[in-house]
Amino acid sequence: MKIYEEAQTTALNFETRRHFLKQCTTGLGMMAMGSFLQSCNFLGGNTSDPLANTGNPLAPKLPQFAAKAKSVIYIHMAGAPSQLELFDYKPELEKLHGQLCPQSLLEGKKFAFIRGVPKMLGTRAKFSQHGQSGAWISDMVPYLQTVADEVSFLKAMYTDQFNHAPAQLLMHTGSARLGRPSIGSWVTYGLGSENANLPGYVVLASGGKNPDAGKSAWGSGFLPSVYQGVQCRSKGDPVLYISNPDGVSGDLRKQSIEAINAINQKEYEEFKDPETLARISQYEMAFRMQTSVPEVMDIKNEPEYIHKMYGTKPGEESFANNCLLARKLVEQGVRFVQLFDWGWDTHGTGKHESVDIGLKEKCMESDQPVTALLMDLKQRGLLDETLVVWGGEFGRTPMQENRGGLTQAFYGRDHHTEAFSVWMVGGGVKKGYSHGETDEIGYSGIKGRTSVFDLQATIMQCLGFDHEKFTYQFQGRPFRLTDVHGSVIKEILA
Amino acid sequence: MNISKILYITAGIGALAVGYFALSGNSDEIDYSTQVKPILNKNCIACHGGVKKQGGFSVLFREEALGKTKSGKPAIIPGDPEHSDFIARLSHSDPEERMPYKTAPLKKEEIEILTKWVKQGAKWGEHWAFTRPKEIEVPNKGMFAGFFSWFGGKKWEKNDIDYFVSDKLEKEGLKHADQAEKGVLLRRVSLDLIGLPPTEKQLNDFLADNSDDAYEKAVDQLLQSPQFGERWAGLWLDMARYSDSKGYEKDEGRSIWKYRDYVIKAFNDNMPYNQFLTEQLAGDLLPNPTKSQYIATAFHRNTMNNDEGGTDDEEFRTAALLDRVNTTWEMFQGTTFACVQCHSHPYDPIRHDEYYKYLAFFNNTRDEDVPDDSPFLREFKSEDSTKLVALKTWLKTNVSDKASAEYEQKVRFLEPKIHPHWGDQFVNGFLADNKYLSVRNGGTVRFKQMPVEGKTRLMVAYGNKTGAPTRMEVHLGSPDGKQLMAIRLDTTGKGGWTNSWDYKVFDLPKLSGKQDWFLKFTNPKVKPEESTCVIGYFILLDDFPGKGKAGYETGQQMFMDLVRTDPAITTPVMFENPADFTRKTQVFDRGSWLTKGKEVQPDVPKIFGGLPGNLPKNRLGLAKWLGSKENPLTARVAVNRFWEQIFGVGLVETLEDFGTQGFTPSNPELLDFLATRFMNEYNWQPKELLKEIVMSATYQQDSKANAALLEKDPMNRFLARGPRVRLNAEQIRDQALLVSGLLSYKMYGKSVMPYQPDGIWNSPYSGMSWRLSDGEDQWRRAVYTYWRRSGPYPSLMTFDGGSREVCLARRIRTNTPLQALTTMNDPVYVECSKFLAKRMLQENGDTEAQIRKGYRLALSRDITPQKLEVLLSFYQNTYKTYQQKPKEADKLLGICKDDAIKPKNIPSTAAMTMVASAILNLDEFITKQ
Repeated sequence: MKIYEEAQTTALNFETRRHFLKQCTTGLGMMAMGSFLQSCNFLGGNTSDPLANTGNPLAPKLPQFAAKAKSVIYIHMAGAPSQLELFDYKPELEKLHGQLCPQSLLEGKKFAFIRGVPKMLGTRAKFSQHGQSGAWISDMVPYLQTVADEVSFLKAMYTDQFNHAPAQLLMHTGSARLGRPSIGSWVTYGLGSENANLPGYVVLASGGKNPDAGKSAWGSGFLPSVYQGVQCRSKGDPVLYISNPDGVSGDLRKQSIEAINAINQKEYEEFKDPETLARISQYEMAFRMQTSVPEVMDIKNEPEYIHKMYGTKPGEESFANNCLLARKLVEQGVRFVQLFDWGWDTHGTGKHESVDIGLKEKCMESDQPVTALLMDLKQRGLLDETLVVWGGEFGRTPMQENRGGLTQAFYGRDHHTEAFSVWMVGGGVKKGYSHGETDEIGYSGIKGRTSVFDLQATIMQCLGFDHEKFTYQFQGRPFRLTDVHGSVIKEILA
Repeated sequence: MNISKILYITAGIGALAVGYFALSGNSDEIDYSTQVKPILNKNCIACHGGVKKQGGFSVLFREEALGKTKSGKPAIIPGDPEHSDFIARLSHSDPEERMPYKTAPLKKEEIEILTKWVKQGAKWGEHWAFTRPKEIEVPNKGMFAGFFSWFGGKKWEKNDIDYFVSDKLEKEGLKHADQAEKGVLLRRVSLDLIGLPPTEKQLNDFLADNSDDAYEKAVDQLLQSPQFGERWAGLWLDMARYSDSKGYEKDEGRSIWKYRDYVIKAFNDNMPYNQFLTEQLAGDLLPNPTKSQYIATAFHRNTMNNDEGGTDDEEFRTAALLDRVNTTWEMFQGTTFACVQCHSHPYDPIRHDEYYKYLAFFNNTRDEDVPDDSPFLREFKSEDSTKLVALKTWLKTNVSDKASAEYEQKVRFLEPKIHPHWGDQFVNGFLADNKYLSVRNGGTVRFKQMPVEGKTRLMVAYGNKTGAPTRMEVHLGSPDGKQLMAIRLDTTGKGGWTNSWDYKVFDLPKLSGKQDWFLKFTNPKVKPEESTCVIGYFILLDDFPGKGKAGYETGQQMFMDLVRTDPAITTPVMFENPADFTRKTQVFDRGSWLTKGKEVQPDVPKIFGGLPGNLPKNRLGLAKWLGSKENPLTARVAVNRFWEQIFGVGLVETLEDFGTQGFTPSNPELLDFLATRFMNEYNWQPKELLKEIVMSATYQQDSKANAALLEKDPMNRFLARGPRVRLNAEQIRDQALLVSGLLSYKMYGKSVMPYQPDGIWNSPYSGMSWRLSDGEDQWRRAVYTYWRRSGPYPSLMTFDGGSREVCLARRIRTNTPLQALTTMNDPVYVECSKFLAKRMLQENGDTEAQIRKGYRLALSRDITPQKLEVLLSFYQNTYKTYQQKPKEADKLLGICKDDAIKPKNIPSTAAMTMVASAILNLDEFITKQ
């Protein structure tokens, strides 16, 4: 029974029609009335029921309970960064460097590429303690070291998928198979968006590639497609087809929408189909997006100190630019900003895929802008209501990868499900805190282990949703992001 | 905003259905399905159902409900509500004891129903959809006909559907609408049946035809049109999750377009639905299957394939298998089955192990998530086909039919392959990219339990580019065990991961049973870290048949030549495992493929009576059962789907769920009437069914609504008006192409790549790129567009196309600004606007006449004066703008790559292009009304 969906459609029909018949019959189809939705108080009163619907499926809605975070910036380092070179300091592993891996760690385990008996690999980075919290942070991320006291670390994350695409899907949709809604879709479905002129859920990818899981990592699964992430691009149209064709000015576009909507209005009078009214408003919104999207996606006009802070160069396709864009988008009321950065898969198969050289390069590209993003959000008072999440899809082995049973030319680590690090900053989480602990060599969690589902449950909690109660009926049963798993990591909540 | 209102309405629809069912029996008798089950589902089953059994009590199955609970006593005692704890707990004074636990108590009426029901013996009834549809009498037919004719009145009903609808309308106090205007109706039925609006000529012919059967003639023409199959294939491909790529990380291409051709042809040929499903599920198991029947089985090869390095093929084979089970249920049975993977069905009486019994039907195909999508049908270029004919002729004359068929099959499929992932216990060797056998000098690998019984030859598909021959020894039982044979794998031109293999065949000594083989590779020329060769797969063969017959050597040579020939087209298909390769099926404990429980045999769930004894316990038996009249769901689900495509909402709104959690049908009698007629009178043929639907007066109604009607029936469930529904993604594109005159009617073949912006395809580790198709291929119907899972065609996605990852039974229509941006700014639509403008400008007369023309081309009706006024003034303003800025007009028209419309009068062409674009963006244009 798709009761929610039924309720929504029917509600849309009722509300749109009633509203227009009773209150809003005069100004239809006229651009002059400005924001169609807002000028007529279309949104109605706020309601605590996330399913209670208004005409616009992306209208802002209140969560299940009061919450600190209003928006999310999720930074996913696609390929899975090595926790052992970044946040999980293991001096014992250093001592075992070069020795053969004990059989006990290999028995009954499956690895993507390690074959036979690999050697242990000590950390390839220098670690030191930072801030009042004394967090151990690697020298590969010197900028982040300076904001250690803002960060909440999860050091004993685990997953059950050791291949990129399924692991990324699990991380973002709660299932390693395709077809489920992504976390951003759930969030926009639950909360709507604060800005009607921008997509509620924006995806920015850098590193030259989309993540392994492809568009499904921001797909809406069985939720209506209006909740899927909109990928904003740094080359060409920031949103597909947002630019008018050559030779069509903004003014001409405005006139054409006026003509289209005037005729649609006549059509509505004849057929009384509420969908026609919705279409009129969507054309108006499209027109506003044509201005607002390029505006927000343009970083040229940011002051010099901001560019310095982030290391941004306008016009470039870069992770740094995406960090700055993330701040701008959140500032404009976008609900969920998803960043993907490609190139963190350090197997040791080449220089750029090594945990000493390649990883360091990726850190040099990303450490400054990530830290700048945190600082910038803070100085704008946005950090309290924005949850920033940083992580990959799994961890990396304390053993050196020996693809095909051979020693690689460079230092590399294989995929590892048993332990990895994720950090969170901002809305709703503790500052300068670390939760979870791995064993002496960072092979698996021994204390405060947290699963992918726990992380998802915690993000939903920070946004005001009980992950067990936030469901959608599909194929005859209620589905939720965390399926039948997950519990909130209470320890890191502020 | 009032959710209760909606629930009220929904409940109202439910209540009507309840009314119907209740009236059909003795009114004192409580009906389980309609009165008891809804209460149980809503209030009890979450804790006492298929998932949780709190207190040892469950109300899913009768025997469980009447069994002893944890308290040691049964909770329900039939005939004795006073002593039934189940009833007592409903009004217990202690809130800790009172049920439902910690939520509002049941209503008095509900408790009364349950009490009465227990008193009457707590009988379990069957859910309506799980019992066979009954023949239903058409209501009131003939009753008023005489009456009306006395008064010279004309009855509204045109066929049997209408009697059901008018019966319902009367009960609801509603009145049917007038017939839609002629042009509007032609556009509607044309879009519905062939997915395209009428051409100008079709419209004019129809308007000029004043005969009584003008409409029927038009319908018949549409049903015969070759475009019919293209339209209906679109629906099917969504459910079949058809895609031109394999999915997951690399998402490389897959050659499976022949399946799409099959579906289009099947619809055009009006293939009976039960035959259609049988061929797709089990075409390979039919006697002497045709090529087309093999290709039909590509249906379940549309599952995804994971080529990511490091993945476990068995894990993803299992994922594909589960998907096949779930898709089969969702598509043909409209029933949720996926949840039974982990536990008994929470609401419907289907047990956990029944999922795996069903899965057992599918668990014995040869596909194993390997990168080349094996098994696949190999089709040859014509000259190679001649060789195949020669081989077949030789075999026919010289060997038994069985052996002849077997060897033809070998050439067509090269199966059963033994894939490298069969190997384990590697020493100095590994699976390259987790896919190909790659052993270094002196290394070994084990192939466990090789099915060698009766086999006399070993075929090796390999590549060796080391420059020196590699020696492969086969040892029995251990790397140093008895040496069975040693073979020489010479260097090859071909071979490697991306191009095809070279094939060598070696004689085996006489062998029996199954043996553990240890393969040892030596090639002293290679460096220590290099592989001695790369092996794609092995095939164990028996003797080439017909030994001693004339031309034996030639026959064998022809066979090997064909094995070595690269096929022109390959299509992944179903290929049943031979006995030696049979897998057993075990229940997955809690749904995890890693924890396997008891072994099960193929069967269908008990609630459906199990698989009839006369059917084979394989996919063919399953398909026959699905397509039989005894199956309660198949015809209903099919009829409902066709109905939904026409009316926008199904008779059962939840197309995907006919179970107890799905919606009750809005008109259950009509559903059953159509289902039985579909099976019995139409022999399951879709065209007859569709004709009946579109010939009804119900369908031909005007689609205008009014306030009262919207209040009473916002979703048009009672059908007091005609359907008004936004077109689907494919229709929107195809219509724009047709109206602008760009549409190519070319049918069939490989997928095409129409214009797409850069950067849509961006999958890692993939060299695939979007290459703009040439000429008319850019303007083919949407169904032929290349569909890549990780980057589906943007404009189709924006209009709610599915990503084709899993079965999509119903597209949910959305209405978004991105859709507006697409039809306004996507270069495809800009191009269409220009070509439509060109057609408009060819019209003699003034601008007004030209705009009238454009509107009529697009909408098959005449423009009203008010609308004309809007477009005319828009034209004039735009014209002025472009007159002042001719360069801008140039730019707009310059996008056009076709010089055919090089304009003489640039401002007017540009202005008309903008008018045409506005027409292509009208609500009424992207809507069927």
